Amino acid sequence: MAVNVTKQHLDEIRQHGERTFPEECGGLLLGVLEGETRVIKETLPLENIRKDSRHNRVEISPLDYAKAEREAGKKGLGVWGYYHSHPNHPAIPSGFDLDHAPFIEWSYLIVSVRDGAAQEVRAWTVREDRSQFDEESLLIHEATPSSTKN
Amino acid sequence: MPKIAIPTALRRYANEQAAVTVEGTTIKEALASMTAQFPDLQKHLFDGEGKLRSFVNVYVNDEDIRYQQQDDTPISDNDDISIIPSIAGGSGAESRAADALPDLSKDEIARYARHLIMPEVGMEGQRKLKAASILLIGTGGLGSPLGLYLAAAGIGRLGLVDFDVVDKSNLQRQIIHGTKDVGRPKIQSAKDRIGDVNPHVQIDSYELALRSENALDIVKEYDVIIDGTDNFQTRYLANDASVLLGKPNVYGSIFRFDGQASVFHPAAGGPCYRCLYPEPPPPGLVPSCAEGGVLGILPGIIGVIQATEAVKLILGEGEPLIGRLLLFDALKMKFKELKLRKNPDCPLCGTNPTIKELIDYDQFCGITPPAPEVKTEAAADSWEITPTQLKARLDKGDKITIVDVREINEWHISNLEDYGSTLIPLGEFQARHSELNPDDEIVVHCKMGGRSAKAYGILKNAGFTKIQNLKGGILAWADEVDNSMAKY
Repeated sequence: MAVNVTKQHLDEIRQHGERTFPEECGGLLLGVLEGETRVIKETLPLENIRKDSRHNRVEISPLDYAKAEREAGKKGLGVWGYYHSHPNHPAIPSGFDLDHAPFIEWSYLIVSVRDGAAQEVRAWTVREDRSQFDEESLLIHEATPSSTKN
Repeated sequence: MPKIAIPTALRRYANEQAAVTVEGTTIKEALASMTAQFPDLQKHLFDGEGKLRSFVNVYVNDEDIRYQQQDDTPISDNDDISIIPSIAGGSGAESRAADALPDLSKDEIARYARHLIMPEVGMEGQRKLKAASILLIGTGGLGSPLGLYLAAAGIGRLGLVDFDVVDKSNLQRQIIHGTKDVGRPKIQSAKDRIGDVNPHVQIDSYELALRSENALDIVKEYDVIIDGTDNFQTRYLANDASVLLGKPNVYGSIFRFDGQASVFHPAAGGPCYRCLYPEPPPPGLVPSCAEGGVLGILPGIIGVIQATEAVKLILGEGEPLIGRLLLFDALKMKFKELKLRKNPDCPLCGTNPTIKELIDYDQFCGITPPAPEVKTEAAADSWEITPTQLKARLDKGDKITIVDVREINEWHISNLEDYGSTLIPLGEFQARHSELNPDDEIVVHCKMGGRSAKAYGILKNAGFTKIQNLKGGILAWADEVDNSMAKY
């Protein structure tokens, strides 16, 4: 599997991570499945609803997720992944991430933010038996004319 | 009829529909109607016992059924039912929510005061340490500082695995045991000492050898595994059991003045011990600490590095040694770091793993080689001679050349010079065996019989025929023949 994003999407994820630093941020990835590749068309930054441990925990409101599914459906898209930030930690999934990864069909993007500056973004998938994450190819494509007009 | 909205990720199991029409008047009936139509959804939404998986929430018109009547929540035709995943993430290895952490007593708060005022630990971090459990495999050189410091730091539960007895030669480095403990099981001695350091720590004792048959049952009870073993069988076993159960394995090893440490954690994207060393070295090639010696202070340094890594993993703070191998040279007093890459072809944690359960580690490490082809009992025996047999032959006046293949420092502790023994250390054996006469009867020996077995092989390949290995080495000689001899 692979995930396909634009440079603009990566910038949006990085900027979200920098805005919320030193707290974690999270959001959803909307797009379509093309063969074995999840092609992301939009990022959807969401609010961290955790009250405690916001420097190393993030949680997305279930109602925000439901709304994202409805809005994505209207545009012919679906929710194909999730991103979050690791403030002052590498972009490698934690045991907590593994325990809380809902779908083996999703891409999980993590951005490392060091001292307020976003660093690498890496993409991961959950193995079918949920025993661990494997890194997946993060393909960066040029923005299509239709999406740059938006 | 009511409809259930299906998440994008699961639509492939529901004929690509965004919502499926179901029958029923309660959530329970509606979900049953859904999985009856689309059986593939079953295993993605429900666990083996038929309960909704922990990340699956069911909402009726923006209300979570957990806060209504759960499965029995009534539904009508106009209700919007949605399956919604819980989505959460975070850095750090532990996986407990803060609100489930145990509280600290007044006495514990006084004890951990220097931790509690640190921003990286604080009350929440100290409660994480209290909630955490760590398995220490071995209570020897590395296990000693590990046990003492982890107990002092306030780890809630420590599992100790060891079947050995405290020997006088342990005391030079195994500081958890004292002179009065010589002859006691290490696990009892360690338990007493830890109880004194911090009575708040719960100790689980496993007075046994970690084996393929028991490892998974023991390892699964702990959050972090720490490898303080001195042999390759247990090291691969600890690695494999940790990887199969998705646990971090904090690794350390020591020899003479050199030490290594790393954290193996494929579940967090890092490599495992097999990515670093796919195969064990041939038996006898890498000397153990018992054969080669170790600076008594060295396990203190490496063990404390392992303890630090374990505490960081539990706190979720800092940068763990995942994907990095730390090398320490005490003579130069220098640390070096090597980047470790995950091996995509690793048979255990690679993309297509072939090891899915524990194996026979003695055989894997060449300790119990497959039975020799055709070998009579007499032939199998004759390559070795016991100390008692050797003494009897020497007393009879038989002319036997005794060759000691140990190091000069070991020779100075004890030797068979009275019987005309010659010293040719194993490392020089290939170059110097021509000093020996193939027509003589030769007995080779070392400390315990491992290195001399290699020397035996070298002589055999060189065409010597009248060779024997002293069974059990000079330690067995001290036990069987000469009780006055110093043991080490």
